[in-house]
Amino acid sequence: MPFYRLFIKGINEKTTLLQKSFNIVIAVALFVLFFFYSVKRLGLDFDFSFLWSFRYRLAQGFAATVALSLASLVVSLLIGFLSAIANNSRILAVSYFSKVYVQFIRGTPMIMQVYLFFYIVGTAWGIDNRFLAGVLILSIFEGAYIAEIIRGGIDSIEPTQLEAAKAVGLENGQTLRLIVLPQIIKRTLPALSGQFASIIKDSSLLSLISVIELTQTIREISASNFAIFESYIFLGLLYLSLTFPISMYTRYLESRFSYEN
Amino acid sequence: MRIELAEVTKVFADGKKVLDNICYGEKFNALAIIGPSGGGKSTLLRLLGGLLSPTAGEVSFDGSKVSFDEKHLIQYRRKIGFVFQAKGLFNHLTARQNVILPLVNVHGYTKTDAETAADNLLGRFGLSADKHKFPHELSGGQQQRVAIARAVAVKPKLLLLDEPTSALDPELTGEVLDMLNELRNEGLNIILVTHEMGFAKKACDKLMFIVNGKLAEYGDSEKLFTRPGTAELAVFLSKVLEWST
Repeated sequence: MPFYRLFIKGINEKTTLLQKSFNIVIAVALFVLFFFYSVKRLGLDFDFSFLWSFRYRLAQGFAATVALSLASLVVSLLIGFLSAIANNSRILAVSYFSKVYVQFIRGTPMIMQVYLFFYIVGTAWGIDNRFLAGVLILSIFEGAYIAEIIRGGIDSIEPTQLEAAKAVGLENGQTLRLIVLPQIIKRTLPALSGQFASIIKDSSLLSLISVIELTQTIREISASNFAIFESYIFLGLLYLSLTFPISMYTRYLESRFSYEN
Repeated sequence: MRIELAEVTKVFADGKKVLDNICYGEKFNALAIIGPSGGGKSTLLRLLGGLLSPTAGEVSFDGSKVSFDEKHLIQYRRKIGFVFQAKGLFNHLTARQNVILPLVNVHGYTKTDAETAADNLLGRFGLSADKHKFPHELSGGQQQRVAIARAVAVKPKLLLLDEPTSALDPELTGEVLDMLNELRNEGLNIILVTHEMGFAKKACDKLMFIVNGKLAEYGDSEKLFTRPGTAELAVFLSKVLEWST
């Protein structure tokens, strides 16, 4: 193999493991070097050692973000599923309610929704548990995106699948359970898994209403010792440690379920 | 098997009359439905399969009338096999699982019995090596053979096929038609919509010629091919047979 082939893959060729690992190292190195050069230009001197003394608070914040995200995943799946069903409803008010919800949520920034839902809706309805409020706000936000994913999954069921189910003598409930749901799950799982990574990142905005999760913990720590850069760099690494495995898993699902082309 | 159609008419929701007062009665072993595209052949077959209900008229097999309410239709569909033009296999299941699902979930087989039945049938149709593949991994001809295996696994008295070879390459058409001919020789009753005139002529004893929703001509297949009784059939045959030997 000529040396240059370490860097360039042939047309229509698969990337070898050697090429892959070698070039990932280069890409990451470039990224890190650029960053360090920027830091040097500013003459900054980083000291991450203080983080150790905050390890318990950081662990708590990390756990809170994981809990918040998992709870929101469950609730937003429920909201998304109901909204996708409602979208196809023959009762027009129900259908339009779902459409308006999806359009409003997807068309406005989450920061505005956080304030709106927490200070107006939340206060009016007496939801003063910030964790619960956080889960609800995040779920309402993510639910709109999940609704679109599930709606796409429902739309992708070919009519012949339903006709074939009918022809072999399945009842409606069986068709839903044995044919429709498994196909929707297979087709939406990659996108849903990707959405879970978004939920984790978006949960950071709940720090705006002082939900004590990871971002809020870092905000508090950096406010007390002014080590803003170190704190936020570390914050980014913590989020990456959650989202990176999910992103890898999403890619694995995509390759596994790419059966319809 | 004897089939009777009494004044069968189907009007779709958009007001289009797809089948117009079809009256027909004959004993058949293999019945081919032929005619120009868009003439109502597939609609008639779906109606015979209990997938659609007629707007008016009656259908009966061997003297027993088909009752077109959903409760009876489910039972009715379970007794016949139906093969679609294409894409009739369940996408998320392997060939073997496609055959097993109706056996277990509709016909009450135990899982083991269903697996044995499926393996035997798939082996017989030369699909053993491919039984763990998903539909998208199979060739069109293999897909259709699995679909036929799934349809006959439940031991139906009647097998309906809607243009089972029209989406296939010529060399794959043969393997599907051979399989059908074999099943017919074992005594399975077959009704199929087809553009394969050779198969309609040689392997089917009866023929229905449908044009614009009307039954234009019917009778013994061999006879209609050699001496069509109507000008319409004569023209249709001369067109479809123009390039065949």
